[in-house]
Order: sequence, then structure tokens, then C-alpha cells
Amino acid sequence: MNIGSSDKALFVQGPYLLYRLILAVILSVLLLFVDTSFSVLDPVRRVVGSALTPVYWLSAVPENIAEGTSNLFRSRDSLEEELDKMQSQMLVLERKAQKLASVTAELNRLRELLNASRLLDEGVVVTELIGASPDPDNQYIQINKGLKDGVYLGQAVLDAHGLMGQVIEVNDFSSRVLLISDIRHAVPVQINRNGLRAIAYGIGAINYLVLGSVPATYDIKEGDLLVSSGLGGRFPEGYPVGRVSEISIEPGESYAHVKVVPEAQLNRSKLLLIVFKNEPAKMQEPKLSDPQSAVIKGDK
Amino acid sequence: MLSRFSWLTVFICFLVAAVLEVMILPAPLQPYRPEWLALVLIYWLLRHPEKVGMTCAVAFGLIMDVISGSAFGVHVLAYVITSYLILNMHHRLKMFPIIQQSVVIFILVATQLMMISLLGKMLVGTSSDLSYLWIALTSAVLWPLMLICIDRLSFALR
Repeated sequence: MNIGSSDKALFVQGPYLLYRLILAVILSVLLLFVDTSFSVLDPVRRVVGSALTPVYWLSAVPENIAEGTSNLFRSRDSLEEELDKMQSQMLVLERKAQKLASVTAELNRLRELLNASRLLDEGVVVTELIGASPDPDNQYIQINKGLKDGVYLGQAVLDAHGLMGQVIEVNDFSSRVLLISDIRHAVPVQINRNGLRAIAYGIGAINYLVLGSVPATYDIKEGDLLVSSGLGGRFPEGYPVGRVSEISIEPGESYAHVKVVPEAQLNRSKLLLIVFKNEPAKMQEPKLSDPQSAVIKGDK
Repeated sequence: MLSRFSWLTVFICFLVAAVLEVMILPAPLQPYRPEWLALVLIYWLLRHPEKVGMTCAVAFGLIMDVISGSAFGVHVLAYVITSYLILNMHHRLKMFPIIQQSVVIFILVATQLMMISLLGKMLVGTSSDLSYLWIALTSAVLWPLMLICIDRLSFALR
């Protein structure tokens, strides 16, 4: 027992500590109120987020090292095998792309005949996943492209299989992407088979979405592919969103419960694509705080 | 008795905890990620309550708000309340055997996560179940290990 520890006790306990608690609680409630009602704190978030870039960079180091060493010890045979596989895959895709070019041209000619606007071609940029949200309730990922690479708010993010989410926060060297499975996210979709429209809501579970307000008489089947409809102006048209996995109709209810499994591997994909629309100058900056309303707007 | 206090050690612990918070885990482990930043904060509150106190709790909370993308103030509120509880009972908590300490950590982290999920429910309408108890459990299980690691580190950097 020494005198030093009793000094400590005097310092941190008693009414003094209680005052500090009250002060801190008032501060945080004030912060909560300001941040949820106004967007004045967004620059602060951006500055702190940019300052945390080294943390994200460091968090990717062990994985990069593991990947590097496993690449170092791979045999020549397995590499050649992979190369063969990729070359044949590329051939197949190239054949599809050849056809696609002529089909797109033809489609545009037909649309011109109908006096409709031309289909826009989107550009994509490859980006890498550098962080995941620590909180299962907030489904975000962090990607390694930011303001310096021309990323802007509201951009759609894809993986090799389908739509992942949208950019909701842009820092200098990284951005935050809200996944389509987050509770605040909704994406306008249409059934690829017949063009019927619906909205796919995230519910906070990583492995499925639900369709909102689907009448029990809708022509929808298990296994139907849903693609983004492009309504609402946020997501480009025609990217796969998910597949209908379960339809349950309660007798007496006018809406069906439809579960959709996302096509994108939301918790596994490492390499992602950011979609750039061809005319980024026209994109108006959406409000940061409520991505959902911006998505649904125009779809009603 | 243990080691002298240095802000460098606190900073290193913070950095490592932040990296562990954002690190991409294999998908099945993702829901069980311990609350590293909260654990580090609790460690310093216990070891050096005269240096690391409410101000640090506010700072850690703000950074956690940015990392997890929640509204500013959610983690701050949860962190200052747990800090208050710890500062109030740190004399007793220090004397506890390590298993008993882990049990207290479990309760503290669970309380903290409960506050965060309640605030989330009120603000954005997330509907989380009791799965945060797993996070509290992994945090409590890793507490003794973390205690030893940071003690060693601050001893080496003294």
C-alpha cells in the first residue's frame, strides 16, 4: 500500500467523476442530435476517415503477405493449368462480347426509331476491398479508391457476379460502400423474365434481401433473376441483384413474402468494380444522410 | 509496481486495436469479432485511471463512430457510461482474480453493445437480436490474453 494509490483514488472518484460523466453524456447526446439532423459534421467525418487511412492500409498487410508467400510457393504446373483455364474462359467471354457489340448497336438503332434515348455505356474501375464494418448492424465495406481517383457519392459498386452496393462516403484515399443488405438500403429491381418491377430491401442479414409490396398475384417464381431496373437514377440498369429463393403467401394477406439471395458475394469478394456513368458532370450530389430515400425517389 | 505510463504505449495499443477492428476476417468469424477498441480502453482505465479517463473514452468513441459508420455520439455515449462504471469500481476490479475479471468484462461489453444496438434501433431502425452477446463472450475470453500482451508491451517500452 502506498500513498500514490490513495492519491489516485481522490483524483478519479467522487462527485468530480460524476460531473465529468454528466458533461460527457450531454456532449454525446448533443453530437447525436446534431449528426442525425444536420450534415455539419460530415467534413469532420471525412477528415477523421482520411486520417484513419493508414489503419486500413495496415489491416490489409497480413493478408497481402499471406497471399504473396502462397504465390511464391505455387508450382509451375498449377500456374500453367490456371493460365489455360483463364485463356479458355477469356475466349468464351470474348465471343459473347463480339455478339454483345452488335446487339447493343442494333438495340440503339431500334431505340432511335422509337425516339427513345440511347443506352448509355458505363465505364468501370477496378477497386479492392480494404476493410469491413466491425458492427454487424452496419453493413459497410471500405474500398481503396477515393476522392483522388474521382469517386463520387452514389456510385454503384459491383463484384464479378452482381450488384454489391453504393458509395455513401468519400474520403481522400478510400470510400465507404453501403451494401445492398443493410437495413437502410433499397434497390429498385425488375424481374429479368418478364420485366415486372419491385423494390429489394436489405434487412440487415448478409445472405438475403426481401422484396417489398409484392402482390400475392404477381407473376414471380422461385429462381427468378432480379436485375437493377435503373429507376430512381441511382443504379445503372441491368446488373444482376439477386435470385428469388423463397415465396410464401399467407392466406388472407394481400402481399407475398419474397426472399432474395444476392448474386454478389457480399462477404467474400475482394476485387470490386466501381461504375462510372459517362457523364459524371450531370450527377447531382445526393444527400449523404439518407441513401434510401434517394434510391426510392422517382420509383413511386 | 507494474510499469510507468507512456502515451506511446497507449497509441500503439490503439493502433493495433483499430487495425484489428477493420481487418477483414473470414466470413464465418465475422460476427464474433471482439470489441478490441473497447477492451484496450478498459485496460488503460484499469491500469492508469489517473491518466486515461473520460476524455480518452470520448476520443475512442468518436473514432469508433467513424470506423463503424454510426452516427456521431452512439459509441461515445456507450463508452463514457462504461468508463464511468469502471472508474467507479477499478479498485475492486483490480483485485479480482482474472476469471472473475473476465466475467465483469463480459457484463460491461454486453451492456455497452446493448446500448449501441438500442440507439441503432432508435435512430436507423436496425433490428438486431441478442447476437451481440457472442461478441461480449469473445471479448471476455480474449481479455486475459490481452492483459498479458499489453503488460508485456508496456514493460518492454517502459
